[in-house]
Amino acid sequence: MLTAHMPGAKEQPQEDDLLRKRKPTKPDTSVAAEEHPVSPSSSAESTIPSALDKDDSKTLSKTPVDDDDKYAPRKLKSAVAVATSAAPTAEADTNISLGVLVTLTILALGVRLFQISNPSQVGDCLDTPAFDRYSGGQTPEWVVFDEVHFGGFASKYINGTFFMDVHPPLGKLMIAASGLAAGFDGVFDFKEIGKDYIAPRVPYVSMRLLPGILGVLVVPMSYLTMKNLGAANATAVMTALFVAFENALTCQSRLILLDSILVFFTALSVQMWTHFQSVKNRPFTLQWWMSLALCGAGIGLAASVKWVGLFVIAWVGLSTVKYLWDLLGNPRVSSMVYIKHFMALATCLIGIPVVIYMLSFQIHFMMLPKIGSGTGFMSPEFQSTLQGNELTETFAEIAYGADIMIRHENTQGGYIHSHKHFYPTGSKQQQITLYPYADANSIIHILPALEFVNKTAVEPQVVEFKQIKHGDVVRLEHGPTKMKVHSHDHRAPVSDAKGNFEVSGYGAPGFLGDSNDHWRVEILDHDPENPYLFALQKFRLIHQNTGCALFSHAVKLPEWGFGQQEVLCSQNGKKQLSTWRIDFNENPLQPETSKKVGYPKPSFLSKFIESHKVMWRINSGLDGVHPYQSRPLSWPVLSRGISFWSAKAGTAKMHLMGNPLVWAAAGAALGLYVLLEAIAAVLSKRQMTYVAGVFADTTRGAGLLFMGWVLHYAPFFLMSRQLFLHHYLPSLYFSILLFGVLFDGITRRILGGSSILQWIAASLGAAACIAVFVSFSPLTYGLPMSKEHCQGLKWRKEWDWDCK
Amino acid sequence: MDKPTAVVDADPAASAVRQRKVKKDLAEQVPVLDDEKKKLAVPAQIQSSISAATLGREKKISLAYKAAFLIITGLSFLTRTWGIGDPGQVVFDEVHFGKFASYYLRREYYFDVHPPLGKLLLAAAGWFVGYDGHFLFDNIGDDYVANNVPYIALRSLPATCGALIAPIVFLTLKEMKLSVVGATFGAMLIVLDNSLITQSRLILLDSMLTLFAVCSVYAWVKFQKLKHIPFTPRWYLWLSLTGLGLACTTGVKMVGMLTIAAIGVAVLFDLWDLLDYRKGLSMRQFSRHFAARALCLIFLPLAIYLSFFYIHFAILIKSGPGDAFMSPAFQDGLKGSEVSTNTSAIPYYANVTIRHRDTSAYLHSHVDKYPLRYEDGRISTQGQQVTGYPHRDLNNHWTIEPVDADIYPLVDHYVPDEEEQERSVRYLRHNDLVRLKHARTSTYLITHDVASPLTPTHMEMTTFKANGTQRYNETLWRVETLDGEDGDKVRSKRGHLRFVNAVHKVAVHCHKGLLPDWGYGQQEINGNKAVTESFNVWWFDEVHHARIVNGTEIGVEDTEVKAKKSPKPGRRLSFLQKFAELQGLMVAHNSGLTKPHPYSSTPITWPFVLRGISFWERKDGLRQIYLLGNPAVWWPAITGTVMYAAMWIMDRLLLRRGIDDFGNRVRNWWDSTPGFLFLCWALHWGPFFLQGRMLFLHHYLPAFIFSVMVTTCVIEFVSLRVSETGAPERIPQPRRRSVAPRQGGVVYWIAMTLMFLVATAGFAYFAPLTYGTGFKSIEDLRSRKWLASWDLQHA
Repeated sequence: MLTAHMPGAKEQPQEDDLLRKRKPTKPDTSVAAEEHPVSPSSSAESTIPSALDKDDSKTLSKTPVDDDDKYAPRKLKSAVAVATSAAPTAEADTNISLGVLVTLTILALGVRLFQISNPSQVGDCLDTPAFDRYSGGQTPEWVVFDEVHFGGFASKYINGTFFMDVHPPLGKLMIAASGLAAGFDGVFDFKEIGKDYIAPRVPYVSMRLLPGILGVLVVPMSYLTMKNLGAANATAVMTALFVAFENALTCQSRLILLDSILVFFTALSVQMWTHFQSVKNRPFTLQWWMSLALCGAGIGLAASVKWVGLFVIAWVGLSTVKYLWDLLGNPRVSSMVYIKHFMALATCLIGIPVVIYMLSFQIHFMMLPKIGSGTGFMSPEFQSTLQGNELTETFAEIAYGADIMIRHENTQGGYIHSHKHFYPTGSKQQQITLYPYADANSIIHILPALEFVNKTAVEPQVVEFKQIKHGDVVRLEHGPTKMKVHSHDHRAPVSDAKGNFEVSGYGAPGFLGDSNDHWRVEILDHDPENPYLFALQKFRLIHQNTGCALFSHAVKLPEWGFGQQEVLCSQNGKKQLSTWRIDFNENPLQPETSKKVGYPKPSFLSKFIESHKVMWRINSGLDGVHPYQSRPLSWPVLSRGISFWSAKAGTAKMHLMGNPLVWAAAGAALGLYVLLEAIAAVLSKRQMTYVAGVFADTTRGAGLLFMGWVLHYAPFFLMSRQLFLHHYLPSLYFSILLFGVLFDGITRRILGGSSILQWIAASLGAAACIAVFVSFSPLTYGLPMSKEHCQGLKWRKEWDWDCK
Repeated sequence: MDKPTAVVDADPAASAVRQRKVKKDLAEQVPVLDDEKKKLAVPAQIQSSISAATLGREKKISLAYKAAFLIITGLSFLTRTWGIGDPGQVVFDEVHFGKFASYYLRREYYFDVHPPLGKLLLAAAGWFVGYDGHFLFDNIGDDYVANNVPYIALRSLPATCGALIAPIVFLTLKEMKLSVVGATFGAMLIVLDNSLITQSRLILLDSMLTLFAVCSVYAWVKFQKLKHIPFTPRWYLWLSLTGLGLACTTGVKMVGMLTIAAIGVAVLFDLWDLLDYRKGLSMRQFSRHFAARALCLIFLPLAIYLSFFYIHFAILIKSGPGDAFMSPAFQDGLKGSEVSTNTSAIPYYANVTIRHRDTSAYLHSHVDKYPLRYEDGRISTQGQQVTGYPHRDLNNHWTIEPVDADIYPLVDHYVPDEEEQERSVRYLRHNDLVRLKHARTSTYLITHDVASPLTPTHMEMTTFKANGTQRYNETLWRVETLDGEDGDKVRSKRGHLRFVNAVHKVAVHCHKGLLPDWGYGQQEINGNKAVTESFNVWWFDEVHHARIVNGTEIGVEDTEVKAKKSPKPGRRLSFLQKFAELQGLMVAHNSGLTKPHPYSSTPITWPFVLRGISFWERKDGLRQIYLLGNPAVWWPAITGTVMYAAMWIMDRLLLRRGIDDFGNRVRNWWDSTPGFLFLCWALHWGPFFLQGRMLFLHHYLPAFIFSVMVTTCVIEFVSLRVSETGAPERIPQPRRRSVAPRQGGVVYWIAMTLMFLVATAGFAYFAPLTYGTGFKSIEDLRSRKWLASWDLQHA
């Protein structure tokens, strides 16, 4: 291959050429190399003077120009690596000022908690539509994201009645705890928006204080994070002010909602992980262990509040992989030390979060011992652990002539049911449905198959206690109407497809029925030694003539079937949807010695797993339409807010709206970062090391934040459920920090590291941010404002709050 | 700086070389230098003797390649065409693709979610043997012979395409420097796969799709090998052939986008590599590289892809079953379509029906009122309901009335033009302001600042009894046609338009949301502030007026004739407009294919052959065609692919610890060759996980072929390493042509032969399901049911 040799031949002179050109700039690259934490040349001295407050000229004079030329490419690489690894310098500007920290916290207290008692009514999401997505007898708990709901959950915890929600329990437990601490008795039900808090003496202020205080703590957290990333004090303060004076973050943390709690734990994890990054050159020290363990706790807590917390776990996870990869390439790390590192990371970043998450569910189950609105979602086993459940023990042996109730597995549809109403389609015979409650219409009489003598059917007599076993052919007679459960060559009423047959109640006085009433009992995993059917054992019912299986699924019949679940006979239905169990069994012939059985109480783990299945189902079922829902693409550009509350009289309204300046700055930072990285990558590929080094220096630490932003944002594009602007808040936090880092890098570069000039630039930015915050603050705090002011805030025509 | 080398080698020289290399890796040295040094290390004498000795061997090997190629091609054709006339009935999706071929031959417009190339080729095959398209392939099991359909000709096209896959795979593997045995083995696995055979023997698109995908990859591999002679005609040839392949793949089915993605990623890697200063390219040269690739891999394929549609539209000139999918303007271009025959200009005071473009509902109103209080407690005006109703009904009629300029002075006084004066009638024109009177209740369509029942952000739409000038202005609607110019007459059955309120500036909007019982479950209609939204578009359907009889206006014939004589084409859609419309509809309908099918499956089950598809069966079930991969090929294929990934990761981890087991040259081959194929496999499979539509086993076939190729590479690599311990660097010799790829040792031969025999046995065992030749007894059939999830009929 020709070219393979040609560049090689050219290589030498070319390189020399380049080196000659590069000579004057060399000090800079060597600085970059020095800063790389694992680079052998720099690690000798563990306390490298930080590049942050170091003057360029000083560096120039300090660094001897004695580097060997042949290492040039590697050094270039490390310059880039600094940019991408986001690894801050070993000893960054550590002069964290306690005074600044306290001032910021007090300021944030003022911003977040100002008039937190307003509005003194159940607030949030004015336009919650009246239709609830889980109608059909269930309470409307599943309308997401309202004070209505999270307040309601708190009273349920206090009352101990079981409920189901799409979010893990920690956030709601914390709210309940804050209510309990303030003496909330759980009587107030938070049922509708606009309900008054004052008269029933609900300690709503202290309940709101929990998200509020956590919202406050995000501010000092962002300052510390910026310091971890090596930002100058001026920039760190400015970034913290950007976080403090952000209207959406403020608004969201003033109501009884989970997002502020989530953002706080995310911020905590970010702070701890960046701190860990800054002490990673001192492994197994106390600081190292502390930050690692606290980071593990942070991500565990975040995931226990909302599943969105999984994104911060992914962020830490990916960063850990990078860390392990770097460590793997470090020749001075022996295998034993490596394994030690690995174990430490696994314990802190996997073990601790898992324990926290599981523990939150354990507390959740302990707090909710009684039956409640969520009971219907759970399996009978689960229900049997709740106080006040209606499941009773029943006789184990099932024999011909018994009155039984047959419960469907895997959907919470209930029992086989029939009533004196007829299918409007197909055979027009009596309906067979699935009904969640055990009533007289769910009683089925189980009979032996017809006998045929000279082609005439004969009803066999049941005179003795004869148990039913695997393979027996039986008939099922509906108790009250005496109709037989029957299937035939008609398509199912709703799921009208090939291989789906109708199941109907069939029969007439004086007519015994025909062989289409015959069902074969197939016990799942039956024991050939003891092939008898017992109560609570799983079995299938196969239609003798067509071979289809009695089947039901989460499809409701139309009005003529009273919205009950469809029952049909399916030839190719899923096995788990054609599985049944008998949990009520009474037989006049039952011997006295017969044993009774009840549902086994499930272990914590199986309760945990079942809850997750139900949560997942509910979560992906949130596909209703909400007037304020939005798609992820519209979030970073802040195209629309969410109306939270609006006074019945007057102009006061609470509207979730970001601070446009902060969002614009954060958005610009994202774009700029990508641009800078792309330019730096291309330049270094072309060996323009000096310029690439400058870029790398500017974006140092930004890679980690950018990755955080992507991981908290991009996955939403894959979700088809309804989404809202506040889902963007964790991402926003990352992008504000990213803005801070870039602001720091660029001002340092342009202003030549002068800290006074940097303070001036930062103050200007912060002042602008505060000014915009103040003008939007009536929307954030729900305060009255003039119509002109309200109209004047509509900077974009999509912003659609109502200015009465 | 120095690292301890972890590899201890018997040969001190080799170990020295390796040590040097480790060092260089650390220092990011130029790998080329290393090769040069090495070459220098071999004395020239020895080198010349090597080349002399290999010359004879090389000849033999090239002969072996040729022989293998011929055998594979022969066997491939044999397996694909054997018994192709059986069954002589419509099987599975032949229902669709046979039908589309017939429509081409009848030149009637049809609509399908797939691009036209595959169906065009089928039609060409039919046309070639003189088929006239009389048969419509209506039901599975319809008889071909009785209907006199040249189905064997139609089926031989996919069969030929399917047969060519194996030889192309062979050539690709050969180009990737696999040995004769390896390449033959890989291609034979393709020959012996039952699912590929089943899919090729019928009138289906997948064999064409797969062939084009494989060809694109082959062309790209060829192109990669010409790296050293850029911008020569050969280089351009293979680059543009890659582009052609991509265009054809996408031209058959939209999943060709995945092939584009795979090649695209490879191109990016390639370009990134060229950008490296160590390649010694100036920015100018680099831009030339970039431009050549953009030209051949973006613009060329795009042009070819468009040309398929051009032919498509050029052939389908008559109105047909696909009309209903298209816009009125599009239908207008089809011969004999209702739109071009029944259209008429709309005179004022005509009774019209107005239909919604995206839901086909009529603008409807009836005497019932909105309820005083909605379920959520909001209060309505209790005005007359305005809804969207899908069926024809007298309540759908609206009368178009002009605006009285005395009451609404913002509108000009009407002055009839010449034509109107002559006929003494006034026509509705673009941008006219009109009132819409509901014919049954004599009330006017109006909107006002009250939230609509389902969508509180939109305005309520109701009707209002005329009462002098009271609220007159709110009943005025501007008729805006989407592509109209001032003075254009609005015509029925074509021309999409919006009604925008004169006062509130909201457009009449309809959506799929249904009103509750009080609205009889009809669609909600409201005023949308976002005027340009898609769901605000309507068209006039029927026009009732004294002057219009049977859909044409009396006395207009003359001018119509005149219009036809004049060469002015009117407002026919341009090709690009037609293309954009069709492409948009294809995408929309494709993602709408969510209706459950009994044989659909999820992507995760595909590589493991967990389920097949029943294509055709006789009543007794003894003869049936069931799409099922040869497990003796599929299971090894996925194992090998996973093994590749595992080995790749292991190597990188070891390398990170300074243990260089592969060596630079082998790693280059390992990354670029099986690595590229692995990428192809992943990109032809992974994206399906994100798809919401119904998916089938045959969607995996292209990915399957790539996984077979990866596996072949892995087997060759592993067995060569095992049989020639200590010389891994010599395995593939991608550098020089003169040294032929090495043949493996005993292990290699045994492994290949064993796997080949097992694959053959598997093929033979499942052949009755592939060819539908039938089983002797039901037990025979049942014994084939290895997995409970293989839902063979009657088994």
